[in-house]
Amino acid sequence: MAGYGAITMPPPDRAFSRKASIVGIGETDYGADYQAERKRPEGWEAPTEEKLLTTAFERALADSGLDREDIDGVTTSFTYGGPPAGDVAKMLGVNARFCLANGNIMAGPLPVACAAIAAGKADTIAMVFAVASRSAGRLFGGMTHETGGGGDADGEGGAPASYYYFHPWGWSSQAAHWAMIFAHYQWKYGAREQDLYEVARQVREHARAQASAVMTRELTLDDYLASRYIVRPLHLFDICIVNDGAVCLIVRRADMARGLRHVPVDVAGWSWAKIRRNKLHTMVREQLRPQLQQAGGEALAMAGVSLADIRHFEGYDASSMHLVNQVEGYGFTAPGTGLAFCRDGQMTVGGRIPTNTAGGNLSHAYMQGWSQVAEAVRQLRHEAGQYQVPGIRVSMTSLAQTDQAHPIVYIRGDCA
Amino acid sequence: MTGKRPAEKRPDRTLGPPHDTFWEWCGKGELRLQRCDGCGHLAWPVVRKCECCDARAFTWERVSGRGKVVSWTTFERDYYRGLMPLPYDTILVELEEGPLFVSNPQGFGRQDITPDMPVQVGFIDAGDAAGTFRLPVFERA
Repeated sequence: MAGYGAITMPPPDRAFSRKASIVGIGETDYGADYQAERKRPEGWEAPTEEKLLTTAFERALADSGLDREDIDGVTTSFTYGGPPAGDVAKMLGVNARFCLANGNIMAGPLPVACAAIAAGKADTIAMVFAVASRSAGRLFGGMTHETGGGGDADGEGGAPASYYYFHPWGWSSQAAHWAMIFAHYQWKYGAREQDLYEVARQVREHARAQASAVMTRELTLDDYLASRYIVRPLHLFDICIVNDGAVCLIVRRADMARGLRHVPVDVAGWSWAKIRRNKLHTMVREQLRPQLQQAGGEALAMAGVSLADIRHFEGYDASSMHLVNQVEGYGFTAPGTGLAFCRDGQMTVGGRIPTNTAGGNLSHAYMQGWSQVAEAVRQLRHEAGQYQVPGIRVSMTSLAQTDQAHPIVYIRGDCA
Repeated sequence: MTGKRPAEKRPDRTLGPPHDTFWEWCGKGELRLQRCDGCGHLAWPVVRKCECCDARAFTWERVSGRGKVVSWTTFERDYYRGLMPLPYDTILVELEEGPLFVSNPQGFGRQDITPDMPVQVGFIDAGDAAGTFRLPVFERA
C-alpha cells in the first residue's frame, strides 16, 4: 500500500528544542464536509486531497498573518497517496526552496520539519496533511493489508505483521487490536464496558463544544450500550470516525516567529519508541507501557520539563481504549486506574490532565494525529474556547499506534 | 477434529518461504514454531530474521500445543465481505512455551471463556485462494 511510511526521525536532542514554532494552523470543515458526504446533495463532488489541502493551507496562512512570499518550504503528508511536494508548492503559489514528502500520520513529520528548519533548509514551512479515506470507501480491516507491502526482504518497514498475519483466523483491523487489549484489561482490572463508556463520553462532550466536529450529539450510557459492537467488547462509539479533511501547520524559525499575529507555540521536545519483539505480549499484557515510558521520558527531557508541567494532552484515539493506554502509559495515572480517572473528571478541564479537548479522533475528526496538534496550538494560545485549560504553558501530543509511540512536547512561546 | 466436515473457507494466509514451512507442519497435525539457533528466542508469527538477535537460522520446534486464554475478541463487523459468517470468536492463547497465538476457539464460544482457561491445539480443514490446508485452532484442555 502507499506509504505506511517510516520516516527518519531526528534524535530527541536538546539542540533542536524550541528552534521552530508553530505560527499558523488551518483545518477543513470536518463536520460540514462529513454531512455533505453522507447526504451527497445534487452537484456534490468527492473531495480530492488537492482541494482539501488548499483550503487548509489558505486558512493557516491567513491565521499566521504571513504573506505567501514568506513561505519557503512545503512538506506533504498523504497516507493513501497524493501529488509530489514540488507540485503541491506550485499549486499553492509558493516559491519553495525546500520540498519534502514527509511521511503521513503524525508519527514524525513535525520533528522532521523542525530539524529541517534548524539545519537551515527553510525558514518557514507549510506542512500539509490531507486524507480522503471516507469518500474513497476505505475499509480499515479485512484484506486492506494482504501482506506487509512496501517492506524490505525481511518484511520490515511495511505494515506490522499483526495487520495481516492472522487473516486465516478472521482476525484483523485496528478495532481488533484495541478490543483484544481491552478484553484482557477487563480481566486484569475488573473493568466493565460501561467503564470504558466514560472515555467515549468525555471526548464526545469536548467535541460538542466544537463547531467543526463530526460528532456532536450527546452520548448517553444507553446509546453507548445499545450501539452495535464492531469487534466485541468494543462498541461503535469506542472506534474513531472516518472522515475526509486536511490540516496545515505553518512552522517558522523560532527567532522569526515572535511578533506575529499569535503567540508562537514552540516545538520543544519529541521522541519515539517502537516494539521490537514479542508484539502481542507488549501490546496486550503491557499496553505499550515500555515504549510510552521511554519515548515520553526522552521527549520531556529534550523539552526540559517534567510530566507535572504537562497540563494538557492530546492523544491519538483510534479507540477509546487507545487513550486509556496513553494516559496510563505516560504516567498521568497508574496502570489500571485510567477508567476511574476519567470518570472522576481528571481528563477534562479542572482535572489532572484535560485530554483531547477538541474531541479527538473519536468525535472531532480523524486526521490521523494532525488535528490534535492544532488543538494543542489553540490551547497554548489560550484560544481553545469552552475547554480552554486556564493559563497553561506546556502541552503534549502523542501519536501511538499498536506498536509505537511518538510524543511531542510544546511550550507557549512567551514562557521561559 | 478429523477433517470429515467440508473445508471452511478462510481469508488468505501469508505464504512463501519461510511461512510455507509452518503450514506444512500444520498439515501433519503438528504445531511448530521457529526457535532461533543464535539466541534461543521462540518466534511467532513466522520471521525471516530473529527479532531479538537478527540471526537467520532457525529450528522448527514442535510445541506442546497447550496454553491458556489471555484475551478474546468477537467480530461483529464484516471485514472479510461475507467470507467469515458473523459473529465469530477469536482468542489469544498464551502457549506454554511463551508466544501469544491468535486463533479461534473450537467447541466452545465467548460465553464459555474464562481468564486463563486451559486450551489445547487441534486442527481443522480449511481452504483459501492457495488451496486447502489445516488450520490450528484451540479446544478446551
